[in-house]
Amino acid sequence: MRAMTWPQRITWIVIIAVVLVWSLFPVFSIAMTSFKTPAGLFSGTLLPEEWTLDNYATILAPGGSAQDLFLPALRNSIGISLIATFIAVVLATLCAYAIARLDFPGKRIILTTALAVSVFPIVSIVTPLFNLWRVVGLYDTWLGLIIPYLSLTLPISIWTLAAFFRQIPWELEQAAQVDGATPFEAFRKTVVPLAAPGVFTTAIIAFFIAWNDFVYGISLTSTDAARPVPAALSFFTGASQFEEPTGAISAAAIVVTIPIVIVVVIFQRRIVSGLTQGAVKG
Amino acid sequence: MTTVENTPVKRKRRSDRARAEARLGWMLAGPAFGIMLLVTLYPIVQALWDSLFSLRLTAPDDREFIWFRNYQVILGDPAFWQSMGVTLFITVITVLLELIIGFGFALVMHRAIKKLRGFARTAILVPYGIITVVSAFAFFYAFDINSGGYVNNWLAWIPGFDENLNWFASQGTSLTVIILSEVWKTTPFISLLLLSGLAQVPGDLEEAAKVDGATAWEVLRRVILPNMKAAIMVAVLFRTLEAFRIFDNIFIMTAGANDTEALSLLAYNTSIGRLEIGLGSAISVLLFLSVLIIAGIFIKGFKVDLSAGRNG
Amino acid sequence: MRNLKRIVAGASALALAGTLGACSAGDGVPTLTWYINPDDGGQAEIAASCTEAADGAYRIETSLLPRDAASQREQLARRLAASDRSLDIMSLDPPFIPELAEPGFLAPVPDDLRNTDGVVQGAVQSASWNDELVTVPFWANTQLLWYRKSVAEAAGLDMTQPVTWDQIIQVAEEQDKKLGVQGALAESLTVWINALVASAGGKILEDPDAKPDEMQLGLDTDAGRAAADIIGRIGSSGLGGSGLPTADENASMNLFQGEEGSFMVNWPFVYPAMQGAAPEVVDDLGWAVYPRVDAGTPAAPPVGGINLGVGAYSAHTDLAWQAVACIVSPENQAQYFVTNGNPPSNAAAYDDPQVQEKFPMADTIKESLDLGAPRPQTPYYNEISIGLQRTWHPPNAVNPDTTPQDSTDFILAVLRGERLL
Repeated sequence: MRAMTWPQRITWIVIIAVVLVWSLFPVFSIAMTSFKTPAGLFSGTLLPEEWTLDNYATILAPGGSAQDLFLPALRNSIGISLIATFIAVVLATLCAYAIARLDFPGKRIILTTALAVSVFPIVSIVTPLFNLWRVVGLYDTWLGLIIPYLSLTLPISIWTLAAFFRQIPWELEQAAQVDGATPFEAFRKTVVPLAAPGVFTTAIIAFFIAWNDFVYGISLTSTDAARPVPAALSFFTGASQFEEPTGAISAAAIVVTIPIVIVVVIFQRRIVSGLTQGAVKG
Repeated sequence: MTTVENTPVKRKRRSDRARAEARLGWMLAGPAFGIMLLVTLYPIVQALWDSLFSLRLTAPDDREFIWFRNYQVILGDPAFWQSMGVTLFITVITVLLELIIGFGFALVMHRAIKKLRGFARTAILVPYGIITVVSAFAFFYAFDINSGGYVNNWLAWIPGFDENLNWFASQGTSLTVIILSEVWKTTPFISLLLLSGLAQVPGDLEEAAKVDGATAWEVLRRVILPNMKAAIMVAVLFRTLEAFRIFDNIFIMTAGANDTEALSLLAYNTSIGRLEIGLGSAISVLLFLSVLIIAGIFIKGFKVDLSAGRNG
Repeated sequence: MRNLKRIVAGASALALAGTLGACSAGDGVPTLTWYINPDDGGQAEIAASCTEAADGAYRIETSLLPRDAASQREQLARRLAASDRSLDIMSLDPPFIPELAEPGFLAPVPDDLRNTDGVVQGAVQSASWNDELVTVPFWANTQLLWYRKSVAEAAGLDMTQPVTWDQIIQVAEEQDKKLGVQGALAESLTVWINALVASAGGKILEDPDAKPDEMQLGLDTDAGRAAADIIGRIGSSGLGGSGLPTADENASMNLFQGEEGSFMVNWPFVYPAMQGAAPEVVDDLGWAVYPRVDAGTPAAPPVGGINLGVGAYSAHTDLAWQAVACIVSPENQAQYFVTNGNPPSNAAAYDDPQVQEKFPMADTIKESLDLGAPRPQTPYYNEISIGLQRTWHPPNAVNPDTTPQDSTDFILAVLRGERLL
C-alpha cells in the first residue's frame, strides 16, 4: 500500500494512454471511415468532414442495397460460431477431463495431435474438403462449416481446459464422497463450480476463433445460405460492379466488432486468466 | 507366503482398473480426437495423393499420374523460393516485434496498479477479438491513397517524405503495412503467454536481487528473463507457426501483388485460383512439411518443452 | 453460469433447427437459380419481371457472385467441375467462357436462341467458342475515351476526328494533367494491354485452338512493342498519377473528376456515376471512340459485358433457356441499360428513345462495340491474363525492348507446366 509518487503516477498514466491508443486506434480509424460520405472519403483526413449514417443504413435498414448481403451473413456467422463453440466446448470438456483426471495410454498422442492440428495450414485442407463436401452434400451449409470450425477450436479448447482441470483439487471430490455424497453429487457440488469458469472462458476463446475464420468461409460457401461475415465483406458492392464500397465495408466491420469489444471489456479478467493458465503451466 | 499369493491378485485387479480407466479415457476423449483427425487427416492424405497428378479442375480428362514432377517444378521455381523468402521474412519480423511489444504489455498488465489494471488488460486484449479481415481493412483504408487514406497527410511533415506515396505499389511499403496489421492483431495473444511466464517468476528472487542493489534493468536481464525462458520459447514457437501461415492480411491488402505472396497465398492461388489441383496440392504439402520442420527445430533443437509440469 | 449455459444451448438448438428447415417453396413451381455478378439491382429486377412473365412455369431467384471477375470464375468453375445441379443460369464474364465450355460444363444453346442477327459483333464473338455459340449475349460493355472538353479545347485537339494515344499523352503533358487509365494488378490491366495490342493490329494469342504447350503468343511483335511503349511512357512519366499501380476503374474515374482530369478510358458506368457524384464535370464532359495506336488503323476498343450460360448439370435446362430468352429481350436490355448503365448487346435496343435520352453516347457505344476486339479466347485465359499482369506491372517498369519478350517466355513456361504462376 505504498503511495505512488507523482512522477510514478504520471508515468503510468502515460503508459496506459500509449497502450490505449495503440490498441484502439485502428478500430477508431475504421469507425471514422464508416461515417464518411462517398465524396468525403477522399478528404484525406481521419475525421469525416461530413458525418453520415448512410453506410449503416445500406447494410442494416430494410431497402438498403447491401442489407440482404450483410444481415444473412451476420446470422450465419452468429449461428455457425455459436454451434461450433458449443460442440467444441462439450467435446473438449470431456476430453480434457479424461486427460487431466485419468491415466490412459495415448494421452500424449491426443495432446500432440491437438497441437499438430492447430498449426495445420488451412489452405492445404480446403480443396479436398470442398470436393468431399460437394459429394456428401454439405457444401454451402451450416454443418459444412461447423465441422471444419471444430478443427480450429478443439485444439486450444482441449489445451486450455486440460490446464484448468489440472488445477482442480480432485481430493475435494473424494472428501465429499467420504462425507456421504454420491459420486454424482460430489462431482456436481465440488468439481462443477470449479470447472465452470474454465469452461466459460474456453467458450469465449473458441467463439473468437470461429468468428474470425476467413478461408473456410470463402472456399466452402457460395450463397448467403452459409456465408459468414468476413467472406461476405468481399461481396459488398457499390453503385456498380466497379465501385469499391469502402463505406459499407467499414460500417459492416464496426457492426461485427462492437459486440466483440463489449465481450472483451466485460470478460477481460476471465480471458486473461484462461489464456495465461492454458498455455504455459509451471 | 501371503505376499506371493496376493501379488498376482493385486496385479490383476490393478490391470482391470487400468483397463477400465483406459476405456473411459478413450470414450471421453475419443470424439474430440476423432473429429480432429477426420478434418485434417483425410484432406492432407488426399492432397498428398493429388499432388502426384497433373490435374486441372476444368480439364478433368487430362488427368495424368506424374510421380513427383510437380515437386520438381515447384522446388526449381524462383517464384516458390521468393514466396518462401517473403514468408520467412514476415515471420521473423512479426515474431521479433511481437516479443518486444508483447513483453512490454505483459509487464504493464503485471505491474499496473489495481485501479488501472482493468483498463490496461481490456485495451491490450481488444485486438485479440477483432476479426483479422477487419483489421486488414482498417489498416488498408488508412494507408491506401485510392481509398482516402490519411496516413500520408500525417507523415507529410517528415522531410523527404513523398505525400503521394502509394503504400501498396511496392514490396517494402506493402509489407510494412501488412506486418503492422499482423503485429497489431496478434500481439495480445503473445503478451498473455508472456504474462503467464512472468507471473511464475518467483517474487523472492526479484526481491533478493533488488536487495543486492541490482538496477531494474539488471533485474530484468538476470532474474526475470532467464526464469521465463520456457514461457518465451513456447510463445515464440506458437507465434512462429502461426505467422508462417499468414493469409488473411495479405489477401485483403495486396492479394499477393508486388512480391508479397506468402506461401499460403501461393497455395491458394494455385489450387483455387488457377484450379491446378495437382500443383496446388504439392505446394500445400510443402507448406505443411515446412511447418513440421519448424516445429521440429524448436522442440528438438531448442528443447522447448510444451508439457512442462504436465506429466500425469 | 448455468443459466448462461442454458441460454447458449437453447440458442444453438434454435439455430440448428433453422439449418434443418428446408428452403424449397413447396408449391411445385420449379425454382431457377440465376447466379449474377453484382450490379445496381437491375438483374434482380429482370428476374422478377421474367418470373411474372413466366406465369407459373418457373420462378427465377438470383444469387450473388463475388465482385471481381476472377473470383466469379473461381466459384463457378469449382462448382461446375463438381457437377453442381443448382447452377441453372449464370452471368458469365466473356474471357472465362472457353474454360467452362471446353470441358462441357455448359448446356448447349437451343436453336431458337442461336440467331445472332441484330446482336453487336463484339458480343457475338465473346459468346462463342470453337465457332459455336455457347452462351447467349446479354449486355455488352466497351470502353470509351472520355475527355474534359475544356482541356481538349485548350490544346486545340479536334475531337471530331479519331485521336491517338500519342496525341492524348502529349496534351496531358503540355497541360500538366493526368490520364485516367487502369494500371492496377488486375484484369483491367489485361483489358488495356489487349486493346493496345489489338489496336496496333496484333493479337496476344496467335492460335487459340492449340494445346497449352504448343501455344504461340503475339506479344513479341511490333504491335506488342507499340503497346509496351505506350504503357511504359504513361507509367514512367507519372501521367497516370501516383496511384497508377493500384488504380482500378473507380480510381481512374476519381482522378478524372479531380482538378487534374483530362482524358480517361473507362466503361460507361462512369456516366451515371459522375452525374451523381460530380455534375459539374458532366457539363464539361465529352466522349469518343477509344484512342488509336496508329493514326491510320481503327482502334480495337475493349469488349466485355455479360453472357448468359446454363449449367450442363442443371435439373431444368429447358426452362432455364426459356428464362434466358426472356432476360435478353431487347426491352429488358434497354431497361437494364437505362437503370444500371450496362449497354445492350442487341442493336435494336439502342434505338429505344429512353436509352437515347439517358445516354447521349449510346451511338458511340454501339460503334465501339462493332469495332471491338475480345480478349484471347482460350480455356487457359486465366494463366495468360495473370501472366500478363505479373510481367507488365508496374506500368513504369514496362519496357518495349524487354517486356514483350519476357512476358512471352514466362507465360509459355507457365502454360507448359514448367513455371509456377
